[in-house]
Amino acid sequence: MSEWEKFLPKPTEDTEPYWDYCRKQELRMQKCKGCGLVRFPPSVICPRCWSLGHEWVKLSGRGKVWSWVIFHQAFYPGYADDVPYNTAIIELEEGPRLHANVIGCRNEEIYIEMPVEVAFEKVDDEVTLPKFRPVLS
Amino acid sequence: MANLKDQYAIVGAGLTKFGKIFDKSPVGFTLEGIKLAVEDAGLSRDDIDGLLVAMPAMMGEEHAWAARIGALLELPLTFSYTMDMGGATPVAMVQTAALAIAAGLCKTVVCAYGHSENPQGAAFAIPNLEFTMPYGDIGATALQAHIARRHMHEFGTRSEQLGQVAVAFRHNACLNPDAQMFSKGPITLADHQQSRWVVEPLRLLDCCVQTCGGGAVVVTSAERAQDLKHPPVLISGMGQSHSAEIIEPWPGKTGHRGGIPAGRMCFEMAGMKPKDMDVIQIYDGFTILVITSLENYGFCPIGEGGPFAEDGKLKVGGALPCCTAGGLLSEGHLMGMGHVVEGVRQLRRQCKERQVKDAEICFVTGYGGAPHTYPVTLCYSTLILRRP
Ligand SMILES: [Zn+2]
Repeated sequence: MSEWEKFLPKPTEDTEPYWDYCRKQELRMQKCKGCGLVRFPPSVICPRCWSLGHEWVKLSGRGKVWSWVIFHQAFYPGYADDVPYNTAIIELEEGPRLHANVIGCRNEEIYIEMPVEVAFEKVDDEVTLPKFRPVLS
Repeated sequence: MANLKDQYAIVGAGLTKFGKIFDKSPVGFTLEGIKLAVEDAGLSRDDIDGLLVAMPAMMGEEHAWAARIGALLELPLTFSYTMDMGGATPVAMVQTAALAIAAGLCKTVVCAYGHSENPQGAAFAIPNLEFTMPYGDIGATALQAHIARRHMHEFGTRSEQLGQVAVAFRHNACLNPDAQMFSKGPITLADHQQSRWVVEPLRLLDCCVQTCGGGAVVVTSAERAQDLKHPPVLISGMGQSHSAEIIEPWPGKTGHRGGIPAGRMCFEMAGMKPKDMDVIQIYDGFTILVITSLENYGFCPIGEGGPFAEDGKLKVGGALPCCTAGGLLSEGHLMGMGHVVEGVRQLRRQCKERQVKDAEICFVTGYGGAPHTYPVTLCYSTLILRRP
């Protein structure tokens, strides 16, 4: 991999805590103080009840593959060396879904409902990305 | 909204030359499209007091985009907005034009679009992609690939069924000499199955073409439309819905179903049902999007879009001719303006070899938004057009 001639997160004021926790290898998301919804992406307001109150709760890091696709074409030069690579939408135990890569297995081994857990990948001193690997049973 | 039904009409429609042609800027294509549509209506500059223009992709901070287009044509405007819902914009501009005329803000509105680069190509410059781009999940193709994966998982939809959509629309494009893929000739299901993966499970022939070009339509009151050059094409129904999907699903929604209210609203306003449609123009950035749209808008039950589209009924000559000019897949990616213009031309019966016999009612959809941002945000727009 031509590591990180790729797009890196450019956090905003609203999303910075998420990435700060990732740097500490913690997957945290906002839990609404009004209705209890665990939400993603980070936002100043709960999309469901409009409460402004929230806390950053630590998640189990476990979930399942909700969808997965294989890029056979690089839409940006920084990803060219990775082709074919997977991207997946992971549904976390707590409810939210997020994009990630499934690592630690071959693309052909991925399937919907595959149990996975978070695996943090440090890119540089600023950025650590949550990715997911199969849960070994 | 019932009081809008059949009160407003599309009276002019035009598309520039389009395809992989790079001789004009977005402004240039937009201006030429407006000229063609206004001339087609038999109107002139002084008749146009409203202007809506679709915001070109990736334009950055460009205040008063629509008004500047107006200035370059010396239009005497009392109403002008730049609109941006991605591929849902052309249909939504027609709706907004009718609303503005109904409100008395203006009498005749041009709705215009122009583009001179691939709208999918520059996604990485958009801010707020921090939750997708680092993983390489880039662009509209990726979102539709995820939707296709889920559809295959939940309903057993097969790549061959997606392929039949591509085959049908290419068939239609081969009846349209202006279509970008006209000269390439028809494709078979085997061609589809042998085309390379782009984002698996989507192949190259599941994806729309890339197009430079422009176009516009003119909207005015049904009353005013009586005296103009062509028989008017009445706006009988319209609808919109806007949703967050996939990542932050609407409560109770798990799939790609945000378009359902836009369809329901449109059919209710028109007092019609999907089976009443003689011809349909479904926004078709990707084959899977046609399948999910046919389901969302009630042409077949949820989950049955694959088998429904498989038997060739979407071809000109089939039971439900769809994207009769070839669509985004094979006519050209005019962001949905081509779909509106084709709807008008079918109802005026100007379509020669691809004309749907006795076409009186046409359903047109737009679809767009921000597929690569978080949450995945989608806009759906619908029209029912009718020949009086
Ligand atoms: Zn809440």
